[in-house]
Amino acid sequence: MNQRGTILGIGILLLPLIALGHDVSGGDRALLENGGLWAYIYVGATHMLTGYDHLLFLVGVIFFLREFKEIVKFITAFTIGHSITLISATYLSFSVNEYLIDAIIGLSVLYKGFENMGLFQKWLKVNPPHLLNMVFVFGLIHGLGLSARLQSFTVDQEGILFKILCFNLGVELGQVLALIPIVYVINLWRQMSSYEPFFKATNTYLIIAGIGLTGYQLWHFFGLS
Amino acid sequence: MKLVFQGLAVVILLSSHDMFLKLDKYKLESYSNVVIHLFNGTFDRSDNVITRDRMIDVSIVANGKRSSVDTTDWYEEDKTTYLNFRTDSPGTYVAGVSTKARSLGMSADSFHDYLEHDGVLDMLALRKQNGTLNDTAIERYSKHVKTIFQVGNKLTDDYSTELGYSIEFILMENPYDMHPGHDLPVKLLFNQEPLADQLVYVGSAAAHSHSHEDDRHSHDEEGDHTHDDLVQLRTDEKGLLNVPISSEGVWYLKTIHLVEIEEQGLTHESNWATVTFAVGDEGSHDHSHDHDHSGDHDHSHSEHDHEHDHSGDHEEGIPFYIWAIISVLVICVLYFVFNRQNNV
Repeated sequence: MNQRGTILGIGILLLPLIALGHDVSGGDRALLENGGLWAYIYVGATHMLTGYDHLLFLVGVIFFLREFKEIVKFITAFTIGHSITLISATYLSFSVNEYLIDAIIGLSVLYKGFENMGLFQKWLKVNPPHLLNMVFVFGLIHGLGLSARLQSFTVDQEGILFKILCFNLGVELGQVLALIPIVYVINLWRQMSSYEPFFKATNTYLIIAGIGLTGYQLWHFFGLS
Repeated sequence: MKLVFQGLAVVILLSSHDMFLKLDKYKLESYSNVVIHLFNGTFDRSDNVITRDRMIDVSIVANGKRSSVDTTDWYEEDKTTYLNFRTDSPGTYVAGVSTKARSLGMSADSFHDYLEHDGVLDMLALRKQNGTLNDTAIERYSKHVKTIFQVGNKLTDDYSTELGYSIEFILMENPYDMHPGHDLPVKLLFNQEPLADQLVYVGSAAAHSHSHEDDRHSHDEEGDHTHDDLVQLRTDEKGLLNVPISSEGVWYLKTIHLVEIEEQGLTHESNWATVTFAVGDEGSHDHSHDHDHSGDHDHSHSEHDHEHDHSGDHEEGIPFYIWAIISVLVICVLYFVFNRQNNV
């Protein structure tokens, strides 16, 4: 690996650590209770930055995309999807079991790794569904997960719509902040000879992580913990 | 033997008898681990545990569904009984415990003390009126307690669920949807029917700004606590009463329905009911009590407490740093495997 590759390697290794200082903790509730609308933006952003399941799915999506225009299109589809369910489900107090929805989010990570590795054609002998539609559908599911998290906080109902919108805005900001280094690293590595093993390693990891996340959430869902 | 029996009765009386279901916080997050406390003594102190064989019902009501609690989820520590419980989806929850009836024989003096001590004033007046103050008593008693708490934001109608206990308070409005300065309508049921003209005592654990004219001082004779200022109310002909909620905090209602009965070996029967709930933001703070009752009443509201109590939060299932380290290691191993394959 040349010097540029070494720097990139270190960069990608450190990538998951960017959120260490922003771990979402139980202190969020106190923050939401005492802070204003900024607190909702902050908690939304930190939740996205530390929500490894959301980030892993986005990593999988970015791998597939080469042009900036495409990235904007797919991320917009994901954003519209999760905004619809996040805002409407929270406003209507509709909630799905958090473990169940997180298990499905885990499956979305698995799906993306599976698709990127070309395993639909290789193993199932079928073409994968249209990615843009799938990203939108998974966006809806991720939004339900985000909503369940927001609803788990005890939030004063006064001005609830603004609070939800601020949380959603925070999620978008967190998403953009997370995507910048991800897109940068993947695009730089794409130009290098070591890209192929890196691509395979990362997408194999997405499959493993997706299985792990799904199993972990289902374990809790069925009360086996 | 009779002396020992009476002595035991006096000790029990001086320890007080109320039973309460309580939480450190009444506003909880969904899918989080919480501990419900079963106090047997006063609101502030538990004097003894309740063994599982005494519980004939332990229920949780949430989102229209009533579920029984596994007795293995109960444990005793020191003098308090605890229930480990995991909240589910958001809603207003009800937890209830009903105990088996037991009998207790008391001398006339002990019985008199108990009636005064626990504010069973109607029976006291009746005994004075009938000239039976010197009669001994053998009382069958059972206790039926509830607590109402809020999980997440979603307010549900479960707060008014009837658990079907011999005696129970039914809140007619959701306390998590009200503010101080309003009256909380409450119905008292006895055998599922409204109980009229029944004395009810109302207390608040955090209402320091009480200004009730009818305050009644605690019967906690050790004087370890000063919060037990009780308001005395009486249900109307429909079993209703309006509880003036004067401040944010944890509130409780208690009553003892005591009647004379003609049954072999018994002279009286009592059914005890309490309900606890919180109003306002106070309910989301940690009111952890010193169970040993050392006198230091811990009303800590610090950020640290919030962190503590969320240790079971769903979000914190896998610490991020563990996830990150494992992820990096897995990607590294996979990278070297695939890179080696490429080079071969």
